[in-house]
Amino acid sequence: MTTVTGEAPATGNGVLGQPLDSREDPQLLRGEATYVADIDLPGTAHMAILGSPVAHAKILSIETKAAEQLPGVLKVATAADFTDVMPLPCIWIPGGVESHFPPHPYGLPGARPVLTGDTVRHVGDPIAVVVAETPRQATAALAAIAVEYEPLPVVTRADEALAEGAPQLHEAVPGNLNAYWTCGDKDRTDAAIAEAEVTVELDLVNQRTINSPIEPRGAVGDYNAATGEYTLYASTQGPHNHRFLLSALVLGIPFNKLRVIAPTVGGSFGTKGYLYPDMALVLLLSKALGRPVKWVDTRTGLMNSTVQGRDHRQHVTLAGTRDGRITAVRCTSYANLGAYPSTIGPGVATALMGRSISGMYDIDAAFCEVYAAFTNTVSLGAQRGSGRAEAAFLMERLVDRYASEIGMDPAAVRRKNLVPKEKFPYDNGLGWTYDSGNYQLNFDKAIELSGYADMPARKAEARTRGKRLGVGLATYVAICGVGPSTRMSQEGMLGGTWESANIRVHPTGEVTVIVGSASTGQSHGTVFAQVAADELGIDPDTVQVLEGDTQKAPYGQGTYGSRSYSMAAPAVALTARKIKSKLIRAGAVFLGVPEDKVVYEGGRVYEEGNEQNTKTFAELAMSMWYGWGLPAEIEPALDETTHFDPPDFNYPFGTHVAVVEIDELTGETEVVSYTAVDDAGHIGNPKIVLGQIEGSITHGLGQALMEAAVYDEQGLLVSADLTTYALPRAADVPFFTLDKTVTPSPHNPLGAKGAGEIATVPPAAAVVNAVVDALSDLGVQHIDMPLTPEKVWRRLRGEAQ
Amino acid sequence: MNGRPEQFSVRPNELLVERLRDGLGLTGTKVGCDTGQCGTCVVRLDGRSVKSCLVLTASAAGSEVATIEGETTRGGELSGLQEALRQEHGTQCGFCTPGMVMALGELVDSTAGGEAPTEPEIREWLTGNLCRCTGYHSVVRGVQRACAAARAEAPSGVGEPAAVTASTAAGQEV
Repeated sequence: MTTVTGEAPATGNGVLGQPLDSREDPQLLRGEATYVADIDLPGTAHMAILGSPVAHAKILSIETKAAEQLPGVLKVATAADFTDVMPLPCIWIPGGVESHFPPHPYGLPGARPVLTGDTVRHVGDPIAVVVAETPRQATAALAAIAVEYEPLPVVTRADEALAEGAPQLHEAVPGNLNAYWTCGDKDRTDAAIAEAEVTVELDLVNQRTINSPIEPRGAVGDYNAATGEYTLYASTQGPHNHRFLLSALVLGIPFNKLRVIAPTVGGSFGTKGYLYPDMALVLLLSKALGRPVKWVDTRTGLMNSTVQGRDHRQHVTLAGTRDGRITAVRCTSYANLGAYPSTIGPGVATALMGRSISGMYDIDAAFCEVYAAFTNTVSLGAQRGSGRAEAAFLMERLVDRYASEIGMDPAAVRRKNLVPKEKFPYDNGLGWTYDSGNYQLNFDKAIELSGYADMPARKAEARTRGKRLGVGLATYVAICGVGPSTRMSQEGMLGGTWESANIRVHPTGEVTVIVGSASTGQSHGTVFAQVAADELGIDPDTVQVLEGDTQKAPYGQGTYGSRSYSMAAPAVALTARKIKSKLIRAGAVFLGVPEDKVVYEGGRVYEEGNEQNTKTFAELAMSMWYGWGLPAEIEPALDETTHFDPPDFNYPFGTHVAVVEIDELTGETEVVSYTAVDDAGHIGNPKIVLGQIEGSITHGLGQALMEAAVYDEQGLLVSADLTTYALPRAADVPFFTLDKTVTPSPHNPLGAKGAGEIATVPPAAAVVNAVVDALSDLGVQHIDMPLTPEKVWRRLRGEAQ
Repeated sequence: MNGRPEQFSVRPNELLVERLRDGLGLTGTKVGCDTGQCGTCVVRLDGRSVKSCLVLTASAAGSEVATIEGETTRGGELSGLQEALRQEHGTQCGFCTPGMVMALGELVDSTAGGEAPTEPEIREWLTGNLCRCTGYHSVVRGVQRACAAARAEAPSGVGEPAAVTASTAAGQEV
């Protein structure tokens, strides 16, 4: 049962909120959607990238002659061919931190060159490219490029990179420290911890994981010599963003000379929002060769080049009273940025994590400090639930540790510390102001739905089967709706983060909605049509949705951080309201009545009290298109645009309960039930959001149970394919028990909060809490992820971590 | 090939997925990994689902190959399985979807006249296909729905169609 706590938005025809089938699905199910790898422009040549086989070395020489003479090879290029190309910029410099890298003309720092000419800093660092007639010829020629390396010492852990005498990655960055970033009140927190009745501490490793969208990345560059215009087809979450970064900041070409097209994109979860060298290279090489140039990554290539996620080593402390009142939380984190600052990696490692650490709890004193360091690993970036998942993990582990220390039920401790609903908007003391919430309602619902009270009996029953049953709770708040441009600039984001929508009503009454956002599998075409149809009171089947092509769509940042429905959809709604408002003004003319007597309802206008005097939406559309008889102050046609920049972020939240059974003999952990009650405000299409919630939970379970990017001492990524990097498979997960509460956000006209990735935030904490619960009688207080059978088996036999 | 004869000569090391995508333009079959793990390239070879990145084209000579393009005419009506997956929204980004349809098609076909597969059986069948978006739940529900529909239509009258398991009962409201 759904519990709504707040006013429903004014709705038109009730289409919004309905579980309409995704209109994108039939094409996908028939295999007819076009992904980058399926694009086949006439005359296309194929690019392959030579990545460094070593993690850290000086390049002494590169010899390309042999490769150039191989069959089909059109060009071999190295850094020497691109000396006038600027390095890839980082656009999220955490507040107060100076960039150490040379500035771009637009004031942004760049660090990663499109090809590395002097020093390689991680395995996979691109050194050279081959363009050939076929992909096989291009790949084969890579082996003929001879590179001489002078090895340098390697460091792959953030804490070790900051130690005295550690290998240095960038001359400009002494000690490898990119940022020392803090939030909250240190003195107050330290004092509260010093005075506390009870304190608990944990050392946590939030392991590095790889997002692994099933479609590897790809890019096609097409330069038109006649017009001087470039077109880039790329698997991107933000075509406008990539256009801005690539044109002005990397290639140094006019903004309007670059068109970026996102075709169907095969999943992303954060990783395809980043600027990568290949995007620039296909454009530059297309110009050099006068042919379209195409590059499609391999899985191993993706794992060695596409941004990775999480990767914090933390010391965390919680203080409280003996009766369960949390008084302070403190986190010292060593974040691993990888070898170069990615497009927004430094912000992910700091603000997105640190400002969220107190979660759903009303805590008087909180402080977080992050040391963000460079190491010889792939660059860090966002990953489904990024930052917020790391925050929830540390807090929810601490709460369980605290509950255990004071001998109180973990649910009771949580219940006691939830931010009370009368305290909203709530300043969490770490930099976020939560917009709205009813945490008690949400929490109680999850506890009840999960059958929490029955767990003691279930534990006893499991023991009779040789299993240890454990239950784990995790709550979370996830900042979404990125975001308010001014607010983000205060966080160090160098760029506007608003979204826009354009609506054109055609003479025949059909409607086209064009948004700046771009789907990576979220059925935007279905949901944005619902928004427009609901506002205008028309059939959603008459609404077409376009996105993903910068030549057609209005500006927008794209799809990330669960922002499309609370950023782009409000832009659609507000634009539809402009259309409606214009139709009321024009309706007064057409109906021959004063404006205040015109009613817009159900996709038509009519005279108040005289519904016979009416015009349908289609009639109005045609009349507006002709423009006959309109007074001077009303322009003909219906074509409106809105740029939506909300007053603040929105903050979805929720409570998850994991129940696991551990096999005493094998140490294998099975998730036997999983209950999640999430609150994303008003939801546009529950069927589509259901899929996102289920996928998100599964992703989070993956981190808890099996996923890890493993680097060896030489900096080689050992888990660089899907035989060595474990992703959850269908048999690894049960059906989940899901429900929601609905607390609308006041910061957008739909009352929406982010939804897509929020359910990725708590599962890792819930599962680890459950496993620790199952092992608690053995004195286990913490166990690092991933919870592999071997690791658990060793703990069952009393071995230390 | 999807019911039509195709004749061509091949390099000895050519993979079936290369022939399908690059040689025949059948791009519905996808490539998601280098190691036969992800299942995006599954096609049916003489009725059995196989990963076409692990099959040499030469070794498929004389076999019947069925790809996603053969499941329906372009833009045409969806198959029973595709329709069931559509109703359960068993797809998001869609990249893994053609491979799943080809793999699951064998399961649904093989059970049309007999016992419907259990949930664990469906999950086991799906272990060769990775999906990062959906977490598989909607896909499993889709297969349950498809099997129920196939059984209902089976001429032998194998009994009432099994109800779609809805452990995610409340999830319908999410």
